[in-house]
Amino acid sequence: MGNRPVIVSAGRTKFGEHYEKQPERLMEEAWLKASEDVGLERKDLEACYLSDYFLPITNKLGLEEGFLSELTELHVPMDVARSFSSAFVNACNAIQAGKYSLVLVGGIEKMTDRWDKIRDDLMLLEDPWSYYAGCTPEANHELMLRAYVKSYGITGENLEKLNIALAQISVKNHLNALKNEYAQYQRKITVEQVLEARKAARRPLGLYDFAPISDGATAVILASEDIAKKLTDKPVYVLGSASATDYLTYPSREDLTGFVASRLAMEKALKMAGIGLWDIQILEVYDQSTVMEMVSLEDLGFCQRGTAWKTIYESCQNYKGYYCISGKKLFVNMNGGLKADGNPLGATGGAQIFEVFKQLRGEAGERQVLDDKPLRYGCVLELEGFGTKGHVHIFGVEAA
Amino acid sequence: MSSEPIERRVSYLGDRLRGRRCQLCGKEYFEIRDYCGNCGRKSFGKMEDIDFFYEKGRLELCTLVTEPTNKFTKLGTYVYGIVSFHDGKIRVPGRLTDRIIKDGEAVDFSSLEGREVIPRFRRRYSVEKSEIIPTISLAFTFADEYYPHQEYRPVKPSKEYDVPGIVGYGFYTSKFRIREGNMERAVPFIDEDAITAAVEAGKLALIHSGVESMLIGKVYVGSESNPYAVKPIASKVAQVLKLGEEDEDVQGVDAVDTEFACKAATSMFKDAASLVSYPKMGVAYAMVIGTDNAQAAPRDSPGGELDFFVGYGGCAYIFGKADVIAELEGWYSCTSDTPDFWRRDGEPYPMHGGRFTGDPAYFKHIRKAAKKLMERLRLQPSDIDYFVAHQPNVHFPVRIAKELGFKEEQYMPSLQVAKFGNTYSGSSPVGLAAVLDIAKPNERILIVSYGSGAGSDAYSFITTSQIVDKRQRQKMTVKYQAENPFLEYVDYNTYRRLKLGM
Repeated sequence: MGNRPVIVSAGRTKFGEHYEKQPERLMEEAWLKASEDVGLERKDLEACYLSDYFLPITNKLGLEEGFLSELTELHVPMDVARSFSSAFVNACNAIQAGKYSLVLVGGIEKMTDRWDKIRDDLMLLEDPWSYYAGCTPEANHELMLRAYVKSYGITGENLEKLNIALAQISVKNHLNALKNEYAQYQRKITVEQVLEARKAARRPLGLYDFAPISDGATAVILASEDIAKKLTDKPVYVLGSASATDYLTYPSREDLTGFVASRLAMEKALKMAGIGLWDIQILEVYDQSTVMEMVSLEDLGFCQRGTAWKTIYESCQNYKGYYCISGKKLFVNMNGGLKADGNPLGATGGAQIFEVFKQLRGEAGERQVLDDKPLRYGCVLELEGFGTKGHVHIFGVEAA
Repeated sequence: MSSEPIERRVSYLGDRLRGRRCQLCGKEYFEIRDYCGNCGRKSFGKMEDIDFFYEKGRLELCTLVTEPTNKFTKLGTYVYGIVSFHDGKIRVPGRLTDRIIKDGEAVDFSSLEGREVIPRFRRRYSVEKSEIIPTISLAFTFADEYYPHQEYRPVKPSKEYDVPGIVGYGFYTSKFRIREGNMERAVPFIDEDAITAAVEAGKLALIHSGVESMLIGKVYVGSESNPYAVKPIASKVAQVLKLGEEDEDVQGVDAVDTEFACKAATSMFKDAASLVSYPKMGVAYAMVIGTDNAQAAPRDSPGGELDFFVGYGGCAYIFGKADVIAELEGWYSCTSDTPDFWRRDGEPYPMHGGRFTGDPAYFKHIRKAAKKLMERLRLQPSDIDYFVAHQPNVHFPVRIAKELGFKEEQYMPSLQVAKFGNTYSGSSPVGLAAVLDIAKPNERILIVSYGSGAGSDAYSFITTSQIVDKRQRQKMTVKYQAENPFLEYVDYNTYRRLKLGM
């Protein structure tokens, strides 16, 4: 990847319910945190790449660009994408093309403003046909789990272990979030609680298997290499960044046990970055459900297909802060993942990037990862819909 | 408010489960695609229409929905999953219908997965009362339960008759019942209504008759519980069942709804028979459907006495001159303006005039119609093998049958009200279906309907030898639905809730 884009700063709000705040206040908060760190002013920005998944629906806002221009008195180009990663990729492309050298990538969502209709909105946007047939935002995750269990022939004691492994994912993410002051849920949960919630729901997955709905905003400041050098002495490089797409309707996809879009995006991103899979030390995956975290470990290539549950189960028997995969350490969802950190759709990818950025710079405070060797590479997977889009970004503290 | 163009496209595709198949590589799509994703440009013009409306699918995977999205909350808890057709060539999302899952009831998914399912035409979800009612066939029931899979195999007719008559028929009601005293009454599932019963009945009649759906020239749907004041049930039936020749996205068929309380359907028997008999009209077959989710006010309110008798169901008859199973021998209808039962526009439930029910209404008109027709055809009760009367309750049809001189063996086979309740427009047609299910060739059936308001239609049919030949095509007989091991009985509150619908 030539003319590498560099992250010079990142900021975010706490995720959760911000019913007292206007969406633009959240965006402002994230931007201020990011800009203060590097001493930037609004007027320094050459363009803004923003994302929200459905602010026009939840807050009845159209053409948010104009709205933000009015608020910021900025007349720079702005574009709104549906996921933070989409906006981020567009920004990277522009920097690589030499069009801009300093841009803001921002993400915002205000889901609780429409809490009474949000699940209908989410499902309808995820896939109308599934919605018409009675699907809920949770059901596809549960069907994927059914498909996984059946296609890999997991039964008896193994099935029990798999169910516990999924619960452990949630427990682990909540544990990580304890050290994340921005997280929506900073409280410990137990495997028993997760299992109880499933039992109460009479479903394969329960309350503690799913990410919540959230409000929040995130911001990342991207610069070209030469500008970055002036702004920071701890640049984080975007080494690889790739996306892929898949059918809207999950049932009509060929493989029901994982996400093709993740696999394709990862392949391309690794190639662009020019590093090996196991150079990656920290990973933020898109755990909209515990099942998504499990299959993502397989989709990205860290685990053999049909085996991630075993790895998770064994790693969590005596959890040391990382998954141990064939003797190698992988730190996953250090911010608490979508489960505990929160999932304000358009901002979520920004929080994932924020985490890797902070970790790679050694600025993650209490939750700073200590690997055997210095942290050099991190990876983010963001999905849209139920795996309809997959984005993978690979970051490094030095050029590969 | 939903988007009408979207609603039109979703129901066009989803009601009939239409798709396309690439003739080059065989890939199938649940949508109307002009080219194949695999084969690209060379597949233009090589995509053939398919649909899987009459087919059996398989429930591949499922889970329980305990917290539905807003529009599905009235369904309560339900099983949702992935259904495949054509050995997995097509996979669609779908929910299981006709299941009441109780609070706290656990569902063993692996015992459901892998089983064969059948698409059912149902309401899609709840909308405001002022909106178009969304429908879909991505609702499924198990093939080894109440509703069996039946292939629809159009057959080339083998015999042309001189007289028009019934070519095939179908009766449909739900698997739910309420039992009070000696009476069982059919209860729709919450996603059913008069429209869905009409489509189901029509589907069963097509299967039974073996008539090519495109040869149906006209469809009449009689009902007094159409959920719309303005918008025909018949248009839905025509489109879902593809009646008449399909040309782009219209069906070459005339479709109309009729209303005359409980005789809205039987009234059109003569019109259907006439239409297929008139040589220059070019109509080979006409379909008449009587369908009702019979309405009644709650028991403690005015009109609530009906609540003890109302049922649910649809009955469809196809008339034609080829491969007739029962020839129309003659008819007589009478009418008088009688205020015995009515429902004002905008009112949810009908009213029942106590003074005029019975003698000045039901008995007077049925007696007149039956006697006149027998007189005209010079028939004695002993010349008639089966007598069928409108059945608002058990006593009325028995009393009039006896009065007209019929014996138990002549009127009992048609008496179905104690099994399904009063199905209003479907009431006497269900009685006729029960008789046709068992009649031998060359037997005479007298059916006399009654519609409040008021009037009666009397018809005499004589069965042919083909009644026996066609019988094997229909598993969903009246008896099968009355005595099915999968019947599910509900309590009074559930019955009211289901009847009210989603």
